[in-house]
Amino acid sequence: MTRFIIRRLILSIPVLIGIVFVVFALARIIPGDPCIAALGERANEQSCAEYAARHGLDKAIMPGIFRVDGQMEIRPAEVPATLVDNQFVLYLQDLAEGDFGRSLKFGLPVTDLLIQRLPTTVELTLYALTFAIVAGISLGLISAYRRNSIADVVTMLIANIGVSTPVFVLGLVLAYFFAVTLNGTPFELPPSGRLPPGVQVPALATVWGLEGLGGPPRAIIDFLSNIFTFNAIVRADWGLLGDVVRHMILPALALGTIPLAIIARMTRSSLLDELGLDYIRTARAKGLRERTVVLRHGFRNALLPVVTVIGLQLGGLFGGAVLTETIFNLAGVGRAVTEAIGSRDYAVIQGFTLVIAIGFVLINLLVDLSYAVLDPRVRLR
Amino acid sequence: MHRSPKWSPLAALAVTMALVFAACGGTPATVAPTTAPTAAPTVAPVSAEPFTTMTYPEDGSSACAIPDYVGQIGLIKTIDARTVEFSLCKPDAAFLSKIAFTSLAIQDADYLKDTGGGGEALVRNPNGTGPYKLKSWTSGSDIVLETNPDYWGDPPRTPNAIIRWSSEAAQRLVELTSGNVDGIDNPGANDFEAIKANPELALFPRTALNVFYLGMNNTKPYWKNEKIRQAIAIGIDRQRIVDTFYPPGSSVASHFTPCDIPGGCTGEAWYEFDPLKAKELLAAGMAEEGITSISTKLHLRDVVRGYLPTPIDVATDIQDQLKQNLDITATIDVQDPTTYLAAAGRGELDGIFLLGWGADYPDVTNFLDVFFGIGADKGFGTKWDDITGPLAEGGAVADPAARAALYTTANNAVKQHVPMVPIAHGGSGTAYRADVEGAHSSALGNEGLFAMKAGDRDQIVWLQNGEPGGLYCADVTDGESLRVCEQIAEGLYSYEIGGTATQPGLAEKCEANADSTVWTCTLREGVKFHNGATLDANDVLVTYAVQWDAAHPLHVGQEGLFEYWSYLFAGYLNPPAS
Repeated sequence: MTRFIIRRLILSIPVLIGIVFVVFALARIIPGDPCIAALGERANEQSCAEYAARHGLDKAIMPGIFRVDGQMEIRPAEVPATLVDNQFVLYLQDLAEGDFGRSLKFGLPVTDLLIQRLPTTVELTLYALTFAIVAGISLGLISAYRRNSIADVVTMLIANIGVSTPVFVLGLVLAYFFAVTLNGTPFELPPSGRLPPGVQVPALATVWGLEGLGGPPRAIIDFLSNIFTFNAIVRADWGLLGDVVRHMILPALALGTIPLAIIARMTRSSLLDELGLDYIRTARAKGLRERTVVLRHGFRNALLPVVTVIGLQLGGLFGGAVLTETIFNLAGVGRAVTEAIGSRDYAVIQGFTLVIAIGFVLINLLVDLSYAVLDPRVRLR
Repeated sequence: MHRSPKWSPLAALAVTMALVFAACGGTPATVAPTTAPTAAPTVAPVSAEPFTTMTYPEDGSSACAIPDYVGQIGLIKTIDARTVEFSLCKPDAAFLSKIAFTSLAIQDADYLKDTGGGGEALVRNPNGTGPYKLKSWTSGSDIVLETNPDYWGDPPRTPNAIIRWSSEAAQRLVELTSGNVDGIDNPGANDFEAIKANPELALFPRTALNVFYLGMNNTKPYWKNEKIRQAIAIGIDRQRIVDTFYPPGSSVASHFTPCDIPGGCTGEAWYEFDPLKAKELLAAGMAEEGITSISTKLHLRDVVRGYLPTPIDVATDIQDQLKQNLDITATIDVQDPTTYLAAAGRGELDGIFLLGWGADYPDVTNFLDVFFGIGADKGFGTKWDDITGPLAEGGAVADPAARAALYTTANNAVKQHVPMVPIAHGGSGTAYRADVEGAHSSALGNEGLFAMKAGDRDQIVWLQNGEPGGLYCADVTDGESLRVCEQIAEGLYSYEIGGTATQPGLAEKCEANADSTVWTCTLREGVKFHNGATLDANDVLVTYAVQWDAAHPLHVGQEGLFEYWSYLFAGYLNPPAS
């Protein structure tokens, strides 16, 4: 197992290097200029030249490749001179030192922005995933167990509607219905944000008297501190927890509906396949209770493809979070990347995308590991 | 049967977390976590030292004597703790309007020194004198302001203000309708009617201080003939353009200068659309030039601006109108946005060029002088004496009535010579919960939250388009930042709430000498910064000097550009060699 993990992690290094290269290149291929995005109307040749020099954007992008007036220009003669002195090499050097660079827009280290934004996305994704797994598997179970019944038709209808409804449509409809239509009722839910306006969450580093702490330990504490659910539970602040949950319901519903539908359909079909096999007939012949037959025998064996789908959906949730965070005004990774693309904030695009990519790689690893737990026949070598 | 140890998923999870955290933790966390309050400005020590007067430049000589110096400020000196004097290189009747601009909000000189004049310490921890002070800034989420207990004027009508942001107009409206926020900036164009129809909401249209125009250079073929230019002016249906492409709150331009600017709309209104008369004029002009047809270009940059929300669509419509109404063939020429302004300014554009302007400060000089004055660029070609003359006089006269008469003459001359065709003033709006007292929209985009009372709530929540880039007001240019600056920092003068007229701010008064070249400002007594420091004249001098002198050790800021200084006062002291 350990060898398997180590091998997979080593194998993921070329993938991540490839991602670093592709994202770096794509960010600079996007039409538009960070100077114009930053200075707007005031951007002119001189101010943009000064801006580029200040942020190192006047250097070659890669050996012999320059960006001039928004166009890529290849200058073979300058390859030797720019072999090392180019933006990509400098970025790799910073990356090797654990430095993601500094946001062009905010002037803050990307690491700090990650500590602020990543917890929102992690929290949202976990809520959405929990909702999708619990509701999806339950619906799939019911649907398979009551095959061809009204319950089956209704749950699969819900699944079909869910899978075909775009996140932004569902999000806006949910926000309007729960925040505007149900305004003033006990079912009213906030349409945006993570907390009511003005509510402040104490930093765990402050609560624990660790304000002097620096470096990675402080980063970890700040990261955890910004997962408000965790923060509220650790401090037993149940009022805050209630606020956090209320604010997460609608985004989690919007984000989790498509995965829910897919999980439900996969659970149903996988379980139906299993319930038709000989060992199930044997189990029934032995006189086991139907619940035991379905849940302990059929369902467990049906889980393998479902877990694969869940792993894939988790990746999809990160993608869906871009829209969900925009609609529900959540300051997460997705919205940060969207805004960064708009403002050509290269360091943020690169840093955030790399972290998302690392997340993908690790999620895939987790899914592979889970196979061994669910199916004893699977060996991890 | 072999089973994987049960700890393996946990180990994988631990690895996951460790790698992600390692990625996040490569550099020490230097900023407090998301919700930690932003570090408050340190409390200034009480000084018992006597006031020492200062001058800038420090040797007491006027910068106006420096060869190649193009700035308007010559010398700043403090007379005593409450008096500061500005000597200008030439008369400037718009001086009060300029010093009211948000970028010239007064900073505590010691605080500037302590923070090194820029960086995170200053950009994210502003220290103003305004009615609100910063309580926290949670990046990506919100900015929380609280009442400044030492404020010299009326306290904010709502004790706390929360500023949030969302780029989606639909989302902003849902937030307002649900009561989650009290006011929003820029409702979607299609939402204006819905807001008007909702009794719980109130809409405030906002005509922005901008203008979109079609420029013509009078040194180029075709456009050197005044009749042809007039034909273009009369042959374009401007109302159609505004109705089709502009959001509610926009208006057809009756003059180059928006009417919200005092004295901006004096003189005759622009030509009415009349295609028949336009064709007659065009025929006469072409006969004078000895040509039988016109084939030209429509230059533009594909950049969305408040004055031009859909550049390509508008250009296409103008192309159609030129063909239909005047039988002029125009080819659309989309240019590189970084070089477009410079090319237009150098007079290199042969065809009709689409451009616009947004006010730096709300004074006629910022429109007419910039484009048609003696110092204007070559965009429209050779200047007209009957325009430059009155403008030069108007910029030097402080009396509003006398200025209005001069601008009437200038505006009428602009209409006659048609260096450009003013098309539209792009608009937008704000919307509030109906119970917000004092709600308003500002043509400058600097709505004063401190002047609003949000029902019986103790906080007013404002939702704008985007997050401020920084809060060191001297070195920001985006409206989202400047609006927040407006709540926490103040200049010597300010603009009236929701308007553009100036009124005393930190100065009780600023008075000019006879020819408006020396302005003497007397400061209010007892004004304190948020860190407890007391305002004095040297704070004013240092605030200005830091922006003015590019070689000043505190000329650091956020980007170090201090761009608005050059828009307000034309040039820097010791500008960089480039």
